[in-house]
Amino acid sequence: MTSVLRQALLIAVKDLRIESRSRQTLGLVVVLGILIVTVLGLGLGSQHMSGSAATAVLWVAYLFSGVLCFEKTMTVERQDGAMAGLLLAPLDRGVIYLGKLLSNLALMLAVAAVITPVGVLFFGFDLSAAPLAFFAILGMSMLGFAAVGTLFAAVVSSSRLQGGLLAMVVFPITLPLVIASTQLTARLSQEGQSWNGSAFAVLLAFDVIFLVASWLAFEWVIEP
Amino acid sequence: MSKQPTLLVRAYWAAAVLALAAAIAVVLFYTPDEVTMGPVQKIFYLHLPMAINTFFACLLVFVASIGYLWQRSLWWDDLAAAGAKVAVLLSSGVLATGMIWARSAWGQWWTWSPRLTFSLMLWLLYVVYLVVRTSVESGQRRAVVSAVYGITAFLDVPLVWLSARLMEDIHPSSVTLSGQMRVTLTLWFLPVTLMAAGLVLARFNLTRRIRERGLTMERRFHPTGMQVSQGVA
Repeated sequence: MTSVLRQALLIAVKDLRIESRSRQTLGLVVVLGILIVTVLGLGLGSQHMSGSAATAVLWVAYLFSGVLCFEKTMTVERQDGAMAGLLLAPLDRGVIYLGKLLSNLALMLAVAAVITPVGVLFFGFDLSAAPLAFFAILGMSMLGFAAVGTLFAAVVSSSRLQGGLLAMVVFPITLPLVIASTQLTARLSQEGQSWNGSAFAVLLAFDVIFLVASWLAFEWVIEP
Repeated sequence: MSKQPTLLVRAYWAAAVLALAAAIAVVLFYTPDEVTMGPVQKIFYLHLPMAINTFFACLLVFVASIGYLWQRSLWWDDLAAAGAKVAVLLSSGVLATGMIWARSAWGQWWTWSPRLTFSLMLWLLYVVYLVVRTSVESGQRRAVVSAVYGITAFLDVPLVWLSARLMEDIHPSSVTLSGQMRVTLTLWFLPVTLMAAGLVLARFNLTRRIRERGLTMERRFHPTGMQVSQGVA
């Protein structure tokens, strides 16, 4: 078990090291996220934005920047036959998935760490009621999103494809996640609202189902 | 394979059309109008069987996708594609009949009620499946992408259903039907199911034939029998 985690961390750290040296993805994605929040904020009229509208705006930004992150971490492997090397390494294929998931998750959390405060600032979002719960929900949503995104990035990126296909595939699958997450977050911003147990259950079920399913499916679909 | 449909196929479709005609006749002359909603309620007899058959079509896509990943035979991929096409057709029908009914019952074509939202999300899920198929060129690669998507989409269906239920509901959760209405509903399952299954089979056979034709032409030009998969969406 510890060796599995160590191997996955090796892959993830390798990805993040490439990212920290090339700085290709993060800058682009963060600016894109801020742009989306700004455009939607201006379009919707940010003065009187309800909690659910603000979280929906944030989610649009997360979804688009997330898809870009997933694409980038996989294209890295497509260059110079890196994927063949990775597949030849004495690793379980599930570990490769886990490593990619970790690096995607790290990137997504970094992006969210910038976009979320921007959204909170712009829309006067009040998080003081339950900041910890907010971060827990955000973390769980990102985990489910990255679980699906990592799988499809591996499937989609391996062939010459039209751009936007990954977004096309991931968005409809993540709809339940977005609904559950926005419902939970919107309630947090309103005082005196009860905790929505069924929305939390959907979020949890999404994470578990797609982590397990993606992990199982990954070794069937990955190829050099 | 002969070009003319076989006698069995003709008999099948004749039975399906006959069953449909009988079902329409029953709904027009035998089934009573619902008290509060009037004759518009009769659209329900088409709506529910289509919804149930959509589910089976999605299940077929799921099973065929697993079959493909397991055996790597394009036979499974063609089956999944046929299932997805019929699933989209049926769920479009469900959406359309649902919206017509909503217009007369609630006075507007669309509300974000859980079941309408669910039908829309389900329709989107499987429309995307078809779009994915047309955007990947090579046969085996397309089959892998579609299979993974087909499995994931089906696993997503219960979650979509649960998440849609987080919204407020005005859809009739349980419908009370009189005896005659129940007979009509049961009767309507027959033509709808026959036609859905028939369409899946017809689409599947067509794709197989195109593929066989493509392969034989390929063999004519490559006497070594090198198999190049054809672009059959």
